[in-house]
Amino acid sequence: MTIFVTLVDVTLRGLVGRRRTVLLVLLAVLPIGLALLARLGGEAPDAAAALDALVVRIVLPLIALVFGTAALGAEIEDGTAVYLLTKPIARLHIVVAKVVVAALLTAALVAPSALATGLLMGGSDEGLAATLAVTPAVIIGSLLYAAAFVAISVVTTRALVIGLVYVVIWEGILAGILVGTRIFSIREAVLGFAGVLAPDAWEGGLEAAQAVGLALVVVIGGVALGARRLAVHEVRGGD
Amino acid sequence: MTADPRMTGATATAARAPGPASGPAPAIELDHVSRWYGNVVAVNDISFSLGPGVTGLLGPNGAGKSTLLHMLAGLLRPSAGRLTVAGEPAWRNPSLYRRIGLVPEREAVHAFLTGFEFARMNARLQRLPDPDAAAARAIRTVDLESAAHRQIGTYSKGMRQRAKIAGALVHEPTILLLDEPFNGMDPRQRLHMIALLRAMAAEGRTILFSSHILEEVERLADEVLVIHAGRLAASGDFRQIRRLMTDRPHTFRIRSSDDRALGAALVAQPAVFGVELSDGRLIARVGDYGAFTAALAATAKRAAVSLYEVAPTDDSLESVFAYLVRR
Repeated sequence: MTIFVTLVDVTLRGLVGRRRTVLLVLLAVLPIGLALLARLGGEAPDAAAALDALVVRIVLPLIALVFGTAALGAEIEDGTAVYLLTKPIARLHIVVAKVVVAALLTAALVAPSALATGLLMGGSDEGLAATLAVTPAVIIGSLLYAAAFVAISVVTTRALVIGLVYVVIWEGILAGILVGTRIFSIREAVLGFAGVLAPDAWEGGLEAAQAVGLALVVVIGGVALGARRLAVHEVRGGD
Repeated sequence: MTADPRMTGATATAARAPGPASGPAPAIELDHVSRWYGNVVAVNDISFSLGPGVTGLLGPNGAGKSTLLHMLAGLLRPSAGRLTVAGEPAWRNPSLYRRIGLVPEREAVHAFLTGFEFARMNARLQRLPDPDAAAARAIRTVDLESAAHRQIGTYSKGMRQRAKIAGALVHEPTILLLDEPFNGMDPRQRLHMIALLRAMAAEGRTILFSSHILEEVERLADEVLVIHAGRLAASGDFRQIRRLMTDRPHTFRIRSSDDRALGAALVAQPAVFGVELSDGRLIARVGDYGAFTAALAATAKRAAVSLYEVAPTDDSLESVFAYLVRR
């Protein structure tokens, strides 16, 4: 337990308190500001549509991308990962700790953002139901994206670019054109979970079984892949 | 390691003959180990074994020292050959880190931690029963108490280096691998670190450190592994290798009031192989560095020649290593 707490503590302190965290907080606050503007302007937008467009499509994946690729990838990049790798600890523990921290930080920013944005949108009972359903769904989504992006960061040094391509191209464009690709879309799984909690407020997304299946594949597969690749990760010498 | 230095060519030989069957296994053993990156050979067919004591890994930048240390630390897989540390393969063997401490060359340390927190993190990850006490002990050992509770990001290069060393020896490893450990340290810190590493070696630990500075190795290591272009150029007792380095053929470029007269006088010296005049300079090739330099002034005086400039043309460490490899 001490090992895990130590890994979490170091990762957390490494990620929080940097300039990028301030930028991510601003990103999380953006939907709240827009909702406030809409409210002051007298508009009554569709809460579910606004939450999908702003929080599920943009804020959640982008914040998860930054935390997920930085939690371990940045340490591998700058060389500080050596101090973890030269310890008698299972690589699995390192990857799990990194995923947990990236997921917690993402959820800590995205869940309040979703809740506040939805509540500010106001509107009908349906809007409230949509908000209360999407909040736990984005928490699950935080874990899924974190597992995926931490794993990618162990596999490649271009994790940020690959993650961005996945979010923008795969989830943003292909999933809209080719319905079959949605089965590999974390965003669709998040919408699926929201739909399970509030069927009347959320349409679309994966079926419950598909969403659970994808979640298991992403979390277990991501952690296993990350641990496996970290076990054979080579640190090149200076000469 | 053997007392006699062994000069090596294409295939390096063992720095230390295998011990008797009943004796303890060497702390570090390499058997024809190579490592390449694509078409580039970083370490080429190296064999040696090490026991307790301080051994210097000497070589110019780019020689393959860090690659070798990273393989020993289990951070790189050997492309060929067999490599064991404490009798076990180093690659993919995390349990070995209970007995190994590594100080990497790269400066990056968790800058947001204090020196004490960094040492304690290492202690906790080593599952030590009292991480706070172990961290305090390690900080005291590297003489970093006054800055122990400052963030590492505010440290000088030398302090950062000492924090890294504290983290590496917090679990009191039996094998310590240090990659250019004296980088950034001031002379006082170097002396302190040399005394510390010597004391650790006296306790029976195996310490292997890399350096590209001859004097550093001379002050700390009794045994030395000379590596050049990925190959083990020499290994054994430092003093004998130093003598080989010093006694190799040298070339001096000399400018004087009468180069011809001085050349004629010098060629009679037993230490001088030959002289020639080239581009208005006298070039002297000598076999015994010490004897030549000691006799040069007197020879010039006897020949009534004034010396204006005497410069060795091949005194770089690079040329020394290249010479050892050619041997």
